Amino acid sequence: MRLNAARESVGMALRSIRSSAGRSFLTTLGVLIGAGSLIALTALGNGASRAVEESLKSLGANLLIVYSGQVKGPALVRRSLSNIVPTLTAEDLKAIRGLALIRLAAPESSMNAQAKFENRNISASIVGTDWSYPEIRNFHPAVGEFFGESDVETRRMVAAIGSKVAIDLIGADLDPLGQRIRINGQPFTVVAVMQSKGNDTTDAQIFVPISSYLRSLSGGLRFAAIDVQAAGMATMREAQYAIQDELLRLHDQPSMDSADFYVANQLDVLGAAQGTANTFTILLGGIAAISLVVGGIGIMNIMLVSVTERTREIGVRMALGAKPGDVLLQFLVEAVVLSVSGGVLGIIAGVTASWAFSRFGGMAALVSAESIVLAFSFSLVTGLFFGGYPAYRASRLDPIAALRYE
Amino acid sequence: MGLDAIIELRGIRRHYVMGPTTVRAVDGVSLDIHAGEFVAIIGPSGSGKTSLMNIIGCLDTPTEGSYRIAGEPVEGLSRGRLAEIRNRAIGFIFQNFNLLPRLDALENVELPLVYAGISKRERKARALSMLAKVGLEGREGHLPAELSGGQRQRVAIARALAGSPAVLLADEPTGALDTRTGAEIMEMFHALNAEGSTIILVTHDMGVARQARRVVHILDGGVVADEIPGGAA
Repeated sequence: MRLNAARESVGMALRSIRSSAGRSFLTTLGVLIGAGSLIALTALGNGASRAVEESLKSLGANLLIVYSGQVKGPALVRRSLSNIVPTLTAEDLKAIRGLALIRLAAPESSMNAQAKFENRNISASIVGTDWSYPEIRNFHPAVGEFFGESDVETRRMVAAIGSKVAIDLIGADLDPLGQRIRINGQPFTVVAVMQSKGNDTTDAQIFVPISSYLRSLSGGLRFAAIDVQAAGMATMREAQYAIQDELLRLHDQPSMDSADFYVANQLDVLGAAQGTANTFTILLGGIAAISLVVGGIGIMNIMLVSVTERTREIGVRMALGAKPGDVLLQFLVEAVVLSVSGGVLGIIAGVTASWAFSRFGGMAALVSAESIVLAFSFSLVTGLFFGGYPAYRASRLDPIAALRYE
Repeated sequence: MGLDAIIELRGIRRHYVMGPTTVRAVDGVSLDIHAGEFVAIIGPSGSGKTSLMNIIGCLDTPTEGSYRIAGEPVEGLSRGRLAEIRNRAIGFIFQNFNLLPRLDALENVELPLVYAGISKRERKARALSMLAKVGLEGREGHLPAELSGGQRQRVAIARALAGSPAVLLADEPTGALDTRTGAEIMEMFHALNAEGSTIILVTHDMGVARQARRVVHILDGGVVADEIPGGAA
């Protein structure tokens, strides 16, 4: 019987909405925009979060970086190495490679220097490292081969150059492989051109064997950082502590507070970046939720008008046997149908807009199932909440006064 | 006499408190109406006949006195219960028809059956037969605006009959109609009464009231005469 009544109410509501289609559409517009922006804005937030995550992961999987020097607060994964006083040694590197939870480790030092080819001169970032660097940083040569273990041992004067260096220094019409370039006056033979990362800073680097770097370019025996690939995501934290313990022992220091190195963990940075992105998403979602509420007020407004306009109808229905509950249900269902159809249209609009953003706007937009569920339930609750008061008013009308209403 | 009365009013008073004054719209009415009667309640405007009709129609409850409709007492009932009684026991016919403008004739007739919880199929069948009964076959799909005044009132009568109520309660049913159409509607009431319907007709028009088989005169909230036109009281 109640179910029957609910079905009748839906029928009545649809009829009433159809009979004033233009007004009904304008009424749902508020909820439509609210739900649509909820979907689209959280999709942009999620997309941004995913983009940050991917750009961090592109630095290398399960990456830990041991830096020379001290840092206060959370350590960055990406940090310029050229101004660091190096404190890390070949012995440290060997010890880290010997740890159980470590898969790969590579030394890294860097400086800005002049690179010269024929009569061209550019400023480039010179990185001294070894053969495991491409694997750890997920950054491989496009042509040629990165220098190997023996190249490092024999201090060969070879270089793997970034894609931008290849174009700017050697030019597009020459095969860069085998060309001799000079770095701070020292001759190096190009053995590889790295793939492009689409990032000018990354693509303007020149990689040389760490041994050659130390002897011919920087002098000294220490390097600025050690890039480490942990054996797995799950054991990154343990790997970090193992490295810390090992280096504290080797550097003869009591604790990290006074150590001349620190270990940056990709997880920390990822967490911080995701935290920021989540805040962003929540903020955007909040704005959208506010517009849903505003849309709900629009529905309440129009329902109050509708109840007033249809006072006579309510009186007739009551005279014919409509109970207060029947009248309440009728108007509540009408408000919910308005608001939910606005919500559904809004979801469609939001998904379409998100698709358009990523297809034509070059923005990363990722529609989440949660945002769709959220938008739908939000529009349902909006209808119930803001339709509730007008429906209650309708149900409390006095049938005699309502029948006489002009 | 009291036992089988469909409408049984005992010492009914309806007082409205308006600031410092109390309006005694109905002031002590006792009245029995039996199944099959055709009663006109007549009185000038302000006599209290509308207030009395609202009480008889269970749209309002008396301040004082007892009222039973079809044996059921209505004092102290909730709005919901009163709605159920209206739905089951009373068929309303209004001066201005009060059809819902956005529903067609068939849907208007179905309305009381909707609130009685009757299935869609049975509802439609009953509404169709009621419309046929008032001579509106073929007009089922017309909106009220597409019908003449007389046709609208016949839709309203079909609607009042649809739920097989104990009483038809008509408030100035010919008031908005021209004389000829009004006469047709009155003929329809006579026919329905001949078939056994109990009819209460509220009017200020003596010409209309005289057509009933019993006329109750109301003045200043009380019954001043209860007569059978052309016969002994």
